[in-house]
Amino acid sequence: MDKVLEILKGVRPDVDFEKEKKLIDDGVLDSFDIIAIVGEFDDAFDISIDVADLEPENFNSAEAMWELIQSLQ
Amino acid sequence: MAFVSAAFVAFMAVVGAVYFAVPKNNRWVVLLVASYVFFFINSEWLIAVLIVQTLGTFACGRWMSSVDQKGAAALEGLEKKELREAKAALRKRKKRGMVLGVLFNLGALLFLKYYNFFAGNANIVLSLLGVSLPSLGLVVPIGLSFYTLQAIAYLVDIQRGKIAADTSLPKFMLFMSYFPQILQGPIPRHDQLAHQLYEGHSFDYKNLTFGAQLILWGFIKKLVIADRLAIPVNQVFDNWAYYDGPILFLAAAGYGLQVYADFSGGVDIARGFSQAIGIDMVDNFRQPYFSKSIEGFWRRWHITLGAWMKDYVFYPLSLSKAFARVGKRARRLFGTSAGKKIPPFIAMFIVYFCVGFWHGANWTFIAYGVWNGIFIMFGILLADQYDAAKKRLGINEESFSWEFFQMVRTFFLCAIGRFFSRADTLKQALGMIGGSTVGWYDLSFITDGSLTNLGLDVANWFVLFVAVLVLLFVDIAHERGIKIRETIAQEQIVARWIVYLAAFAVALIFGVYGSAYDSAAFIYQQF
Repeated sequence: MDKVLEILKGVRPDVDFEKEKKLIDDGVLDSFDIIAIVGEFDDAFDISIDVADLEPENFNSAEAMWELIQSLQ
Repeated sequence: MAFVSAAFVAFMAVVGAVYFAVPKNNRWVVLLVASYVFFFINSEWLIAVLIVQTLGTFACGRWMSSVDQKGAAALEGLEKKELREAKAALRKRKKRGMVLGVLFNLGALLFLKYYNFFAGNANIVLSLLGVSLPSLGLVVPIGLSFYTLQAIAYLVDIQRGKIAADTSLPKFMLFMSYFPQILQGPIPRHDQLAHQLYEGHSFDYKNLTFGAQLILWGFIKKLVIADRLAIPVNQVFDNWAYYDGPILFLAAAGYGLQVYADFSGGVDIARGFSQAIGIDMVDNFRQPYFSKSIEGFWRRWHITLGAWMKDYVFYPLSLSKAFARVGKRARRLFGTSAGKKIPPFIAMFIVYFCVGFWHGANWTFIAYGVWNGIFIMFGILLADQYDAAKKRLGINEESFSWEFFQMVRTFFLCAIGRFFSRADTLKQALGMIGGSTVGWYDLSFITDGSLTNLGLDVANWFVLFVAVLVLLFVDIAHERGIKIRETIAQEQIVARWIVYLAAFAVALIFGVYGSAYDSAAFIYQQF
């Protein structure tokens, strides 16, 4: 989880990922951020996040992203 | 059969009546028969193209489903690592069906709609070698550009595991041919529309009246605004060399409004009929002319095409391995902030190229897509500098004046883009843009009769002006979340019917009609 937060902060240093729970629904992250985050996750966790995984519920919070990563490992 | 014609109104009434007259579980059959009759009336034997594409798409979907079913049994009892590998192998196998189906549909679209364009351009090069490709007398069936995208989305969604493949061919035939949307969309996804088409809906008075009102509003937009605006717009675009400055710019801006009234009017009719029989069809517009940027405009204009491009072109490209490699290198070279923008930046450019090309086999449409794409890309690339400049200038982004300025700026840029989408050639578009920059010092055209020489007399200009104002007020109400039909429904019966009859009279009296009370064809019908 720490690694997830580190990556997220690297992509968007201005966002408090520990507090935000509606990153997609509230438009905090845009499609450009998502693509950068997916690229970093794929490399860091040796997974392959598919287009089909790009659902708001998978990216609304750092926890949701961590759950997605674990399900793909 | 024209979409806006007495015959089509009668057709909708008959289909609606028969729909509710038959038992609930057979109601989808009424829609299927009506859709195929409508298609045949409009495209005759080109219906074979629709049937072949439908059969091919259905077969690919069924094959992918059978791969899934067989594979699911083999996955049982596997350990985590083996399970992951087996799932990946299964996805790969399933993908073959998807790729085949997508290529099949794309091939049909590219060949029928774009062959002559490709051949014409290739011949410029091939002529150097003394050979040439023949020009074919290809005719495009109605709705090809729309139902092909629908078919591709269906196959990709099966591959992604978002939906299950249809099991009934006749029902799938309805999904591919549903007549209200076949001419000009919207482009719904299978999980948005199919189940609504297949289940029988009960008669509901509110749905019927609300649907009828939406149809009437669609007719008003098309007949009173779009077809009236078309007269001066056509006059200027067809004789553009005789005009300059404000007249040329007004023609382009007017064409933008014409397309909005025409396209959204057609979609209102499709959505209105659907609502009348209990189907909630996805909307295609959200007050696009209140957008504060070109990017915002495309999120509000032809929404289903934009969403299609995002899900089936932008994301797959951006997340592809090749783009990931580019992104990684770019982040190393330019830093995280700038580097992360490069792959989606390229993907975005491709998307807008496709959006332009989708509109038609002409360089003008490609230029139209690129024009929009350029502003969006610069908006993204220069976002940080743009924010810094706003801070330095002390601009209050929440103020009305700033928001109004943004809307006017977007309207202006959209209007320039319309030179490309309306002109017959790139040369004409560029010539008109050049011409529109001169002659602004002389505004005598407002009073010297120039406007009434464009095909509309003073009375018609007045009707147009009032109608556009009404459209503006309706859009303002929608932007503020006011539900106009709900508001009217709360009024007394006499007041309600005065509004309905007045709207009907407006469409009948102030509509621009051709022979036999038929209107001009829809603009997006030809795309």
